[in-house]
Amino acid sequence: MNREKISVKCRQRNRFIPGFLIGVAVLTVISLLYLKIDWLKMASRVPDIGGVFWELAHLDFSNMDLIFSSLVETVSIAVLSLLYSLLLGILFGMLAAKNVFKHPILSAAVQSFFTFLRAVPTPVWVLLMLVCLGMGPEAGVAGLCVHTTAFFTKSFAQSFEDIPEETIEALEVTGTGRLSIFFNAVLPASLGQIVAWAGMRLETNFSECAILGMVGAGGIGYVISNSLQGYDYGTAGVAILLVFLVAYMIERVFVRIKRKFN
Amino acid sequence: MEPILRFEHVAKEYPNGVHALRDVSFEVKEGEFISVIGPSGSGKSTLLRAINRLIPISGGRVILDGRSVSDQKGRNLRAVRREVGMIFQNYNLVYSLSVLQNVLHGRLGYMKGLRGIFGRYSENDKKEALALLSEMGLEDFCCNRASDLSGGQKQRVGIARAIMQKPKLLLCDEPIASLDPSSSKTIMDLLWSMTKRRGIACIVNLHQLDVALKYSTRIIGLSKGEIVFDGAPERLDDTMIEEIYGTSRENLMIGGTEDDKADTVNCA
Repeated sequence: MNREKISVKCRQRNRFIPGFLIGVAVLTVISLLYLKIDWLKMASRVPDIGGVFWELAHLDFSNMDLIFSSLVETVSIAVLSLLYSLLLGILFGMLAAKNVFKHPILSAAVQSFFTFLRAVPTPVWVLLMLVCLGMGPEAGVAGLCVHTTAFFTKSFAQSFEDIPEETIEALEVTGTGRLSIFFNAVLPASLGQIVAWAGMRLETNFSECAILGMVGAGGIGYVISNSLQGYDYGTAGVAILLVFLVAYMIERVFVRIKRKFN
Repeated sequence: MEPILRFEHVAKEYPNGVHALRDVSFEVKEGEFISVIGPSGSGKSTLLRAINRLIPISGGRVILDGRSVSDQKGRNLRAVRREVGMIFQNYNLVYSLSVLQNVLHGRLGYMKGLRGIFGRYSENDKKEALALLSEMGLEDFCCNRASDLSGGQKQRVGIARAIMQKPKLLLCDEPIASLDPSSSKTIMDLLWSMTKRRGIACIVNLHQLDVALKYSTRIIGLSKGEIVFDGAPERLDDTMIEEIYGTSRENLMIGGTEDDKADTVNCA
């Protein structure tokens, strides 16, 4: 009788996957050693997580006017930065799309410039704008705009490039100029996608805005970080709950709008 | 009479070495209805696209209304192009816009600056577009989205868009290849009557030999990039057809007689 075990695996195995797993394991060990994490201390503080959430759940509505006004401020920053970025994104998306002006160098230049802007995270842009423009919501709007415009430029350019070449050809043969072709055929054909991108981005901008308050750009983030630092958990709890509610509402509304557009 | 279009020894060689057109010369006069026939890959599409420079040619000259097309660039090329309407196999409409907006696209080549960019069409153009749509039997659909229409209706919108350009020449690239027989007949009848009434010369690429024989005033037969036949449909006899398609006439008819069928299979 044959005692040898029967192999059930493929003869030609993908050598990349074991290599990848070993790489991850090695990196994990190195990171643990480098950060010198004190596991005992962490374990002893775990019960505190429950405590803090318990405190947060004791909602304190006494500072409602402050919370509400800063929430409105946050929403306004998110909406304004979205609006400006939409206009700029359509403009730069048009320049970045390869099929609009058929100028490969122009689109490559615009694409790479905005890839650079996108690589730097939003809070860094806001901090830079705080230095340039001073504390306040202006810096928040400007900082958010940089990253959002960069994001829109890429995604809109992609939507524009998805328009079939034949549709553009059909207008080229009528003797229409490139700018007219863009505004009369390419843009209307990708409007549904633009709305979808905008909805997704408004959600992201709103939650990023909440973080931005903590670096000094105004809004609800400032209230959250301030009350947490002052152990005023009740107020922070109300603010966090409201942030969640607004984000959820934005998502539901855009799901509706998107359905109408398709 | 001065011809509208003249091909002088036109040649086209693609970068991959394929000779799509070799030494093609012919003239088109006002009011002619010309069918270009030939097997797939014989250069029909290249010939049509060389006329409005969608494909640049590599030799010879294309002269449209007294102007050499291959020398034109930018603004001048657009001015030449707007005098040539074009109809496509896949209609190529902007499906998220209304039928009327698609028809009005034919006027964009004549509109300058911001009026063109924002699509501010004149009331005259709008009236003309509406009249054209009712001539096509589409007046009830003028404010529908173009995506709601059937294939035959979409192609009628394509024709209306081309006619809105007030062209001297209409190019049709396989206009009925995606349509059922009854829509095909409607479209061919419309092409015939619209161009006759307006004195527009028409060049149609066709796969269907019977349609070409029925409608054309003249047939051009292409084979391997060369013109092998150029004349009235009556002169297109069986030996000519065999030279164009490289197979006998019976093999070109799908519904051939019983004993033809084996032959057809071998040809496909």
